[in-house]
Amino acid sequence: MNNEQLGIENKYKQGGTATLIKIAYRNIWRNKRRTIFCFAAVGVAVFFIVVYSSMIEGMIKSINDTVQIYELGHVRVVSSTFEAEKEYLPVQYPVADGASWRELAASISNIPGVRHVFPRITTFASLQESTIKHAILWGINIADEMAANNFNLTDRSDGLIEGRWPAPGGNEIAIGRVFAHKSGMTIGDEIFLRTTSAHFSDRFWSPMITGIFSFDYIKIDEQYIIADFERLQRLLALGEGTQSLVIFADDEKQSASITAAVQNLLGNDNVVTEWSDNYWVAVMRMVMPLYTIIFLIFLIVASFLIINTVVMIIHERIKEIGMMGCLGMTRNEIVKVFFFESIFMAAFGAFAGVIVGGIVAGIFSEYPIRMGDLYGNTFAEMPMSQSIFLAFNFFILIRAWIMGVVVASLFTLIPSIKSAFVEPVEALRR
Amino acid sequence: MKKKLFFIMLLASVASFAFAQTPTAAELLARVDANEIFNTIEYDGEMIIEHQNRRFVKTFRGWGRGNADSFIEFTNPEDRGIRYLKTDGRLFVYSPDTERITLISGHMLRESMMGSDMSYEDTMDNASLASRYNPILLGPDILNGRPVWMLELNAKSRTESYPRRMLWIDQENGDLLRYELFALSGAKLKEYNLIRVEVIDGRRFPVEGEMRDLLRRGSRTTFIMRNVVLDRPIADSVFTQRNLRR
Repeated sequence: MNNEQLGIENKYKQGGTATLIKIAYRNIWRNKRRTIFCFAAVGVAVFFIVVYSSMIEGMIKSINDTVQIYELGHVRVVSSTFEAEKEYLPVQYPVADGASWRELAASISNIPGVRHVFPRITTFASLQESTIKHAILWGINIADEMAANNFNLTDRSDGLIEGRWPAPGGNEIAIGRVFAHKSGMTIGDEIFLRTTSAHFSDRFWSPMITGIFSFDYIKIDEQYIIADFERLQRLLALGEGTQSLVIFADDEKQSASITAAVQNLLGNDNVVTEWSDNYWVAVMRMVMPLYTIIFLIFLIVASFLIINTVVMIIHERIKEIGMMGCLGMTRNEIVKVFFFESIFMAAFGAFAGVIVGGIVAGIFSEYPIRMGDLYGNTFAEMPMSQSIFLAFNFFILIRAWIMGVVVASLFTLIPSIKSAFVEPVEALRR
Repeated sequence: MKKKLFFIMLLASVASFAFAQTPTAAELLARVDANEIFNTIEYDGEMIIEHQNRRFVKTFRGWGRGNADSFIEFTNPEDRGIRYLKTDGRLFVYSPDTERITLISGHMLRESMMGSDMSYEDTMDNASLASRYNPILLGPDILNGRPVWMLELNAKSRTESYPRRMLWIDQENGDLLRYELFALSGAKLKEYNLIRVEVIDGRRFPVEGEMRDLLRRGSRTTFIMRNVVLDRPIADSVFTQRNLRR
């Protein structure tokens, strides 16, 4: 016999699921303390997911920015011989066999999506009469590069903390904050250094320190000496050539197409590298699935509390289940009631976790965490700023909430189904 | 009994003859030091550096007085005007790019000179080997088909750049055909092979040799000396800082 035959109004049937949801919602408040514990378990897990996701995305962004600004741009061009010997930072192997960098840059600039093309020289220097014996000379077009990018990723500034940048063509350099501190050098001091020219000869140079910078990137702040590109180009006898060309795109997503176009333009004697091919960028890309697994484990552990609660509820309400069955509720409907209770607990808990996690991520997206202070130089080899801004975006929050609800709900489905197998008469007899 | 005595005397005389033919380690080292001695030297030099499949040729004009003073001016277009002065145990460099004279000292002396396999320190050794090392004669050997004496030198001072050296000295003419330089750990750092000797004013003089710095992958430097003039007076003004800056 169906409901019509029994004369039951369709009103009840029409609100079927809605009624079950209403019953489930009311049920979760029958034992507030237990429910709050369930909320807390899921909430804490989701909170950590939000904060850790934000931190990892912040680290990834910092690594991406560092690789792009200091190392590869969006696309970098070097000669294939340089690439083979790159650990020695030789200047003997210029791009396109020493062709004028201006002409190369003009050709590359015609490729759609190219915003800037900068020449760069990076080479080793030996220092005399200094506690620091070796440094890296970095020749860049200072004014142009500083206008294009924020070199201090924390303050979002050019990073100059004292003095001024070296004048074009001058016997002047800027040194990093840590370098200055370790060597005891300051503005106005001359620094005697030796480096190797494009003709594999010694070059001696005594530039004056005009500026001290802090990029909040330990590798640069500790080891780098910044000089005007053209001055270094002349010192190292590079002619019109350059050791590398760094290309910045309008959008980093255009890097692949620009890489292909530049490779086509310059031929196979030059190595064109996309920023995403950087070792650390690739490593972070690879570990992301691992972090997702860790997040799932957080949630599964938290779900155990809900599973336990649901099992307890079923035992507590065994007579009630029998009653519901006797009153005509199908097994499916009884399962739904318990399942909806689990979803409510997971959803509210996850929501609380998202709110608290979101507030924390929001705060630290404006005020960075000083990783350098926490870990010292442990991660000095990682191309990463010393300060990490947590990433704050709604995608992270929504993803964490959905993960929380879905995982917790799925795990509580099994104990919920158990309620369906309770025989009404048997249940009422207990 | 008479026979026995005769045999012993014969043996003793043969042994004394043989020992008379074997120079002592000190004699051999003195011979090596003597080959290096000249009052003055002028020459045109060429340095061929082969490093990581690239070849760089540098030319220079050199002047020397004894072991203490020397002056080198590079003449190849890329390095034209770079000058080195060694005097009073100090090494100065003039760089035309900065128009400055600078004293090379400290750890920089251990670095490669003009990209070659030789360090600045290698050019700074003034004192004779005999005054710095204790020689041990290891015995005869054959090197490239020539009979040589093998000599091991151990530094007297702990501050010596190379605590141990191995020398191969030609038995016939006393040429230093090969030497190897070792670190305190026993690791071989550098090796030198003599390529060509010229007789100048009746003296055998090494004019071409090859140095390999074994810490540099795929690297060797060939030194060639041409138009060598020995013992012609050189003005004191050559070995001055003023001459560096001129």
